[in-house]
Amino acid sequence: MSEKQRIIDSSVHMFFRKGGEIRDFMNEPYKSRGIPDVEMDWYGAPGGEYDPDIAKRSEGGYPSSDPSLVSEHLFGEQGVDIAILHPMTRGNLPDRHLTNAVLSAHNKMLVERWLEKGNSHKRFRGTIRVNPEDPKAAIQEIERWKDHPYVVQVGVPLQSREPFGKPQFFPLWEAAANYGLPVAVHIETGTGVDFAPTPSGHTRTYPQYVTFMALNYLYHLMNMIAEGVFEALPNLKFVWADGGGDLLTPFIWRMDTFGRPHLEQTPWAPKIPSAYLPGHVFFIHGKLDGPTAVDEQMVGQWTSLTGKENMFMYGSSYPHWNVSTPDQIQEGLTDDQREKILWKNAAELYKLELQAPVPG
Amino acid sequence: MSAEEAQVATDERTESREHVVCREEELPPGAMKLVPIGKYGVGVFNVNGKYFAITNFCPHEGGPLCKGRLGGQAEVDSDVPGGAVLTRVGEFIFCPWHQWGFELATGTTSVKPEWSIRTYPVKVVNGEVVVTR
Repeated sequence: MSEKQRIIDSSVHMFFRKGGEIRDFMNEPYKSRGIPDVEMDWYGAPGGEYDPDIAKRSEGGYPSSDPSLVSEHLFGEQGVDIAILHPMTRGNLPDRHLTNAVLSAHNKMLVERWLEKGNSHKRFRGTIRVNPEDPKAAIQEIERWKDHPYVVQVGVPLQSREPFGKPQFFPLWEAAANYGLPVAVHIETGTGVDFAPTPSGHTRTYPQYVTFMALNYLYHLMNMIAEGVFEALPNLKFVWADGGGDLLTPFIWRMDTFGRPHLEQTPWAPKIPSAYLPGHVFFIHGKLDGPTAVDEQMVGQWTSLTGKENMFMYGSSYPHWNVSTPDQIQEGLTDDQREKILWKNAAELYKLELQAPVPG
Repeated sequence: MSAEEAQVATDERTESREHVVCREEELPPGAMKLVPIGKYGVGVFNVNGKYFAITNFCPHEGGPLCKGRLGGQAEVDSDVPGGAVLTRVGEFIFCPWHQWGFELATGTTSVKPEWSIRTYPVKVVNGEVVVTR
């Protein structure tokens, strides 16, 4: 008898039922403030931001705003065992207090609606959103939710005005590591008080934007390695949630070559840079990540280089236009790699109890 | 063994030989003398009165290691401004190509011992600096 494929979907986004509903989860003096609408996408995907089928079936609410409908899609139709939820907002606001309030409202909605009321099947896990521009408030927000049995992660935006290895962020990473919560970094849709999406400025169209924006993780990661963040925090785990993990290898080659096999400027990180990847660095892996099907024979080998097979975790990015179903994970992976990417790496990272299927 | 004999021995790589490098006064502290021993040559260094010898070849990508600069070892010291101090100044060589650093005394890198380079014993005999390779 053959057993069902185990699947953990490590990247599912969810929203309020409709635009203004966020105010029901907020208090004054923030409840009545101007808040960017959920529809305010800076670069619009051609054909719409969300998968047309999911959007059509969302019954008048916003896509991915109803736990029972999402459960039906993911657990019923896609065969997913567990889904890691990651609420999305619309960018870093100029007023950090308002950002904190917006994030906190999302967390309240996530926990009440998805991790409690909508979680009788116990298959949802949640990401608590915090604001790295206000580390003290971010730590308070983590401490508010960290003991919830279904909170498994802290989420921050990829957009930042300083790379994440800088010392102002350290207390936040330290708190996450101490509480055993991985930090997921995801592009905040929409825009706020940010830099341009590429170091050379703004792209004109969405395809250019979506292709290159995710690569901003490289600047954060290289900076964190060089600043010794992972040396100082052996339990810290980072999940780069927009993919791009396929490009890790050539960049860490460069860093190992010239980065610093000496300690003149970085005695805080005494190992070769690539030594800080295993156990610290993870990537959501979806259908935008290569090698492409054209290079199918390279897929297994490329995925093993730099230990990437131990870092990649399948994530659908549901309900977005680029939603990846489990069967769209690349051809060409070895069976072992496929198991790791579809569920084993995530089960280990998030300490989820899923047993390997017994061979039939 | 004379200097002439040392030259003759240059191409003998199978067993160790003693090679005269120069007179002691020709290699003051802080100086390096590159001698034509073996395929790449050997650099003999005087660091604060101690002699060290290494092959002029970086194991990373083959750079002329001995032509690099001498430096020290930065260590974390959270009590000082800048949070780090430089120790053992001059005891490390940094390849001019990619700044890989090696400890002259042991040949080891700071970060990955398997990338160590070989070192050779140096002594002074009758005022002459002699390297055994």
